[in-house]
Amino acid sequence: MIELFNPIVVLLVLAGLYMAWNIGANDLANAMGTSVGSGALSIKQVIIVAAVFEFVGAVFFGKKVTSTIAKGIVPIDAIKAIDPNLVAIGMLAAILAAGFWITFATFYNLPVSTTHSIVGAVLGFGIVAVYQDIILLSDINWAVLTKIVGSWLVSPILGAVLAYLIFSVIRVTLLQKAENPYHIEKKFVYLQIGTACFIAFAHGSNDVANAVGPLYAGLNALNLAEATVPIWVLIVGGIGMVIGLATWGYRVIETIGTKITELTPTRGFSAEFATASVVVLHSYSSLPISTTHTLVGSVIGVGLAGGLAAVDLSVIGKIVMSWIITVPIAAFTSALVFVALLGVGL
Amino acid sequence: MKKMEYIRSVLDVFARSPFKPLYLHASKGVETVKILDQAVNAYCTNQPLVEELSHQIDGIEHEADIIKQTIRAQLSSSIMLPVKAEDLLNFLKPQDSIANVAQEAAYMLTLRPCDMPDPIKTNLCELSALTLETVETYEKLVDSLSEILETSFSKREVDESLVLVPTIEEMEHRVDLIEKDLLKEIYSHEEELGAVGVFHLVELVRTIADIADKAEHAADRIRTMILRR
Repeated sequence: MIELFNPIVVLLVLAGLYMAWNIGANDLANAMGTSVGSGALSIKQVIIVAAVFEFVGAVFFGKKVTSTIAKGIVPIDAIKAIDPNLVAIGMLAAILAAGFWITFATFYNLPVSTTHSIVGAVLGFGIVAVYQDIILLSDINWAVLTKIVGSWLVSPILGAVLAYLIFSVIRVTLLQKAENPYHIEKKFVYLQIGTACFIAFAHGSNDVANAVGPLYAGLNALNLAEATVPIWVLIVGGIGMVIGLATWGYRVIETIGTKITELTPTRGFSAEFATASVVVLHSYSSLPISTTHTLVGSVIGVGLAGGLAAVDLSVIGKIVMSWIITVPIAAFTSALVFVALLGVGL
Repeated sequence: MKKMEYIRSVLDVFARSPFKPLYLHASKGVETVKILDQAVNAYCTNQPLVEELSHQIDGIEHEADIIKQTIRAQLSSSIMLPVKAEDLLNFLKPQDSIANVAQEAAYMLTLRPCDMPDPIKTNLCELSALTLETVETYEKLVDSLSEILETSFSKREVDESLVLVPTIEEMEHRVDLIEKDLLKEIYSHEEELGAVGVFHLVELVRTIADIADKAEHAADRIRTMILRR
């Protein structure tokens, strides 16, 4: 236990907590804001629901994606064999770089994903390792990386298709048959409480990895963690995200909730259920994806099904731009930080 | 500069709905016609209110213009609506004319004092009242759009709304008939009225009747928008 007070481990925990705070404050808040917008839950209720299910999702279902971030992209076992400290420092560089970029992007309201940032940052560390002849370029798991990047493209589309189908079914079987559509909306308020839990769970299961993936990789390299993710690591991530939600996320939820009045319970339910299903599916497949981008895809899906009065499609261009710039920027920053950390002799 | 807030959000995907301002715009039009009706009655009974009512209409017409401009400005090409944006703008135009034409008619009332035989007065008031009724029915049609959107174009809601279109067309037809009678009546009194009097009254009657025409036109465009989406 005493080895945990290794300065690099402490830094990894702190950086992981900072990242988790950001994820809770913004991404989780976005996912939950849709339930407030339609009036399904009050802000207080939504925070309680989100805290419980986010935590449960992270702790009990967050292992797979965390492993992917930690070991799936860069072959840390090979680097560990040469110098375990290199892995820990590289992962510290990655989480710091991702944290910087997310902080910057949030200040400028850019639709940047924490997932894309951390994947890019971990890749940056791997590329430096290649340049220093620690591993071969072909040692980087390009197949997994391709699958991950592919899932970034597929997940919003899948969200859109699923939301389109769900809303179309609701529309044809309920809304168009009802005497009074407002009664249907009222019933969906209850269902939306369910999807709020579902989406928080899904988010926790996928996004906890963005915060604690590097921490787990460092622990694993230093032989402080086994082949599976220790539960306390996931708990650290879960706690960080819940704190982020409680200390800042409620403001984001308020902002979103007051502006998304278009998203009535049937529309909100469709978008949330589609998003949560897609995210959980990816968590199960060990693939880190952006919950926020999937949610945007799902909202567009509801719009395509004729469920929304106005959808701004220019957001698609912004998201694609953020994909294109995030990975190189995060990779480059991470490489710089890594080289700098090695330079100061950490 | 954008307000600095530590927020990344999904809000960008939600564009402002143009349908609420569209209804607001329609109701501004109805308001001008309501006041015009008061003005016509005041005119026929020689009350000194006409000038003031005409000013009121000017103000409301200006408000309607601002709403129209906002709606147009918000509909950039990236906005996806459940109807064709082109169709929506196509009905906004005649809807906007309602207030414009009402403004014109009210202004004409201020140009000359009332000097006409009683039967013309009665018919003129009737024309104005029926025009107002037509426009009010049109407002109902625009209001029903929200219900249509809520159910996401349920057949029943669409049918319930579209029933109003032939009603409006029928009312506009009745306005036309009154207009024709009135014109005949005016010319039959050309001796008493004098050339300028006839000219003024003919213009006035045509302008008022034109309001119902615009409402009918806009209603027709709404039908196209709903059915063609």
